[in-house]
Amino acid sequence: MTDASPPKDQGAPRLATRRRALLLGAVGATAVVSIRPALAQTTASVLTCQIPVPDHGRAGSYIAADGKVVPSGTVGAFRPASQPFDREAVRRALQGGQLPGVDADRSRAYLKYIQRLQSGTSGFSCFASLQMPRG
Amino acid sequence: MPEVAYHAVALDTLRLVAADDLIFAYHRASGITHLLAPPAPEILNILAEAPMRADELLVQLAALYDLADGDLAMLVARLDELVAAGLVWRA
Repeated sequence: MTDASPPKDQGAPRLATRRRALLLGAVGATAVVSIRPALAQTTASVLTCQIPVPDHGRAGSYIAADGKVVPSGTVGAFRPASQPFDREAVRRALQGGQLPGVDADRSRAYLKYIQRLQSGTSGFSCFASLQMPRG
Repeated sequence: MPEVAYHAVALDTLRLVAADDLIFAYHRASGITHLLAPPAPEILNILAEAPMRADELLVQLAALYDLADGDLAMLVARLDELVAAGLVWRA
């Protein structure tokens, strides 16, 4: 059993570091098995949901370029979104598009914020529904 | 050659637990746990640092590992799995 969260003092957690032989494997083999929680079954109910940026608990705060929520007025950070983004708009933006009504830099910052949403923040279940594997 | 770049989720949005050669990756954003076998963790490691095309990724993998089968089609198949899992996206 290890700690409850990745170590924060060693930079980004690493998945693998050793130099060794690596097989890419045959087409048709699989390297990823996903274990879906019951949450995955709720997808249909959130098809029309929206994601506020930032979440209501931090309304008015700015969004830094890396997606972190920073105090209002922070230089170099972006004002909060004037209205929540529809799930479909976020889905399109995550696939290489841009969030509606904002420029490219702001869209990137907002998307980074959205991708860091965690359980308990508003917009999380909506974003989570976008992350569900197909099928 | 595909021009699309592959992006990976930030590794700090995953809770990673190693089990020998397999990695359990709990994706906090989706609440889904993924069981990753090589080369999926290695691919995520590289893409999390910088998005890149599949052919560029193949070069990176070859630089870091002894690739026994350096085939772009195989790599794209692995990337497609990660896209389907929601851990990687094309943009």
